[in-house]
Amino acid sequence: MRTATASATVPLEVSPWQRLLGVYVRWSSRNPWLASVLPFVPVVVAWAAIAKSGLFPPVFLPGPVEVIQKFGTLMANGILPAYLEDSVVRLAAGTAVGMALGIPLGLLIGMSDRAHRMLWPVLLFFQAIGDIAWLPILLIWFGFGLTTMIFVIVYTVLFPVVLNTMLGVRSVPIELHRAALSLGASKTRIVWEVVLPGALPNIMTGLRNGLGFGWRALIAAEIIVGTSGIGFLMFDARRAGSVVEILLGMIVLGVLWYVVDSWVLAPIERATGERWGLVTRKD
Amino acid sequence: MKSLTLEHLEKTYFDPFANRQVTAIRDISLTIDAGDFVSVVGPSGCGKTTMLNTIAGFLAPTAGRIRVDDRVVSGPGPDRGVVFQSFALFPWRTVLDNVAFGPKMRGVPKAKRHEIAREYLALAGLSHAAERYPNELSGGMQQRVGVVRALANEPDVLLMDEPFAAVDAQTRMTLQEELTRIWGERRPTVLFITHDVNEAVFLANRVVVLSHGSLLDDITIDLPRPRVWDALIEDAAFKSLAARVLQRVRAA
Amino acid sequence: MIRPARLAAAATFVLPLLVLLAIWEAVVRVFDVSPRVFPAIEPVAQAGAAAIADGTLIRHIGASLGRIALGTAIGIVLAVPLGVAMGTHRAVSAFFTPLLRFFSVLAGIAWIPIATLWFGYGFGAITFVIFNAVFFVVAYNTLLGVTGIAMPLRHAAASLGATRWQLLTEVLLPGALPNIVTGIRTGLGFAWRGLIAAEMIATNVGLGYMLFVARDFYRTEVIVLGMVVIGVLWLLIDRLLLAPLERATIERWGLVRAA
Repeated sequence: MRTATASATVPLEVSPWQRLLGVYVRWSSRNPWLASVLPFVPVVVAWAAIAKSGLFPPVFLPGPVEVIQKFGTLMANGILPAYLEDSVVRLAAGTAVGMALGIPLGLLIGMSDRAHRMLWPVLLFFQAIGDIAWLPILLIWFGFGLTTMIFVIVYTVLFPVVLNTMLGVRSVPIELHRAALSLGASKTRIVWEVVLPGALPNIMTGLRNGLGFGWRALIAAEIIVGTSGIGFLMFDARRAGSVVEILLGMIVLGVLWYVVDSWVLAPIERATGERWGLVTRKD
Repeated sequence: MKSLTLEHLEKTYFDPFANRQVTAIRDISLTIDAGDFVSVVGPSGCGKTTMLNTIAGFLAPTAGRIRVDDRVVSGPGPDRGVVFQSFALFPWRTVLDNVAFGPKMRGVPKAKRHEIAREYLALAGLSHAAERYPNELSGGMQQRVGVVRALANEPDVLLMDEPFAAVDAQTRMTLQEELTRIWGERRPTVLFITHDVNEAVFLANRVVVLSHGSLLDDITIDLPRPRVWDALIEDAAFKSLAARVLQRVRAA
Repeated sequence: MIRPARLAAAATFVLPLLVLLAIWEAVVRVFDVSPRVFPAIEPVAQAGAAAIADGTLIRHIGASLGRIALGTAIGIVLAVPLGVAMGTHRAVSAFFTPLLRFFSVLAGIAWIPIATLWFGYGFGAITFVIFNAVFFVVAYNTLLGVTGIAMPLRHAAASLGATRWQLLTEVLLPGALPNIVTGIRTGLGFAWRGLIAAEMIATNVGLGYMLFVARDFYRTEVIVLGMVVIGVLWLLIDRLLLAPLERATIERWGLVRAA
């Protein structure tokens, strides 16, 4: 950080380099979408250069051109869309169930001290075991199929949702409860009119975190259970020694999650929290 | 509007920091006639907020009874509206929806309750803010919304818990004048808690001094209405009444 | 001396778990659950005793912990300076933020296939996955933390005569610390899961492996043992490492984390 000294008589000296950087900063804040894509361009170029240079054998590091070609092939013969659909459907189903279970549970634990005392240690312990450690026993119970995968995703999504919902419930100021009571709301009405809206920003945070862990669990499950999906695509390719699909899978995953997280989930989270002037965050 | 009667009200609770039972208010008996405006004034820690929370039903009294007209009340409810120091507006609802909340709880259909809400917003000069969210408004405007939200539900009694304490001095004076104006038009029964002696005398017909949980004094304020700060701030009668109340409070 | 209050708190924590144990045992007995579906408590305890006695449990735990310790340590040591360096100039941080963000959302498990390709099966691949998870997440969060330090703080330091090094150590690092700690917690979470998953896929020692190979022989008591061990280990990491770290930084300084 260069500290430029300025006084009334000596003009401020800014090097052309600094000027350029300043321009970049201003441009990027005015064009956030473009600015979030631009940095990838030199990375892709560097990637292409390294791949072509033969520094790593092509078996290890194919170039972007090959990856794009493979993308085209897999799109055309329908494999990629099919696998993508499988993965997305599993994730969506698991997340939906996870939220349907997690939000009410989070509400309960947040509102009832007794429920909190009884369930909190249990939740903490099961969260510590982690989703992936359940795979072996799930495989014994349900075999190599959809049930196993959905279970893992539900399990993964459940905990961040419960924890964050609980935090949200507790962060609703007691005055809002009291205001609602003295305006004639019944206790059950208050859950719907005060607690849920008040906890909504935190619930969105929980959803975001849950999905972050959730898609990772999905990939692991798809690798291990191995029927279809992007995870399966990557690992199957690995078994065949073909690195192009692996890279393609990773890029597809990264882009998808980046898009969903940055341009769908984060704005919703911000919109509720900031619009309403509420600010509480927990990972 | 109805009268509010407190009969030998007492509230004791366990203070974990002092590690003992604390009696916040003891043997409080007070009658507020229908349509009257009574201020309760006292230093910090005298128990006035506990008293209000008990009357509002957020806390259960240890002894004594609270009546609205002749009916004994317990627990919170729309018969006793509350205006909070922290405004307590629902941040996810627009100003209009906030004011319409009480009627909504009573099952009033949407068109009608929006009409009611607009009427009360107009009363407070806030019609232009109907579609805004609370956190877009200044503190003074938020508290106006808080006041009309409680009024729009047409409670039997209005309880106000140091409502203007969180607002700057200039705005406070404006809000006090507006409150007397609105009160003059609608004549709700009001119990107004404050630590500010001038505020208490300005607003009320009666000022009650609370100290260490007991009611000490009951002073009638017979200043003419409408009351305006510009006039009263130099008024001899006002100053002497305020001095009298202040003396009682400080002597306690 | 253990204060009675702490003891009481520990008891309220343990009690629901004991109740859970009781329910476990009761369900297995009442419904006559086949041991191939779910074991009772006793077989699990026996398996545990046996695994400790012949040293296999220690070996697996050691392998897993070793990998995660190494990967995490290297990850943090590389990520924090990088994040700080990127955060010191606004243009640099504006450029690198999307990149780091992309890689941090991809971090961990998604790298397992390519890691096994590059490093083969075993220690290298697994440690790489762990390193990867920690590195990108911590670097991204460090970057966020440093850029989130308000200009007035930097100006204050400058007008009090801080050199660039002092600015770094006295303002930027402490100011970014809450975000760094958050990054460590998240990264470690990804890393732990990556560890277990990678051990199921790509090696022959470690807790994940222990679980997976037990599945082949329907030895559910070993699986449950492994799950319990994993749970306890993470709880220990969380309570003994992460929580004190957060308490010492975020809570003590009353700092609010940048978004």
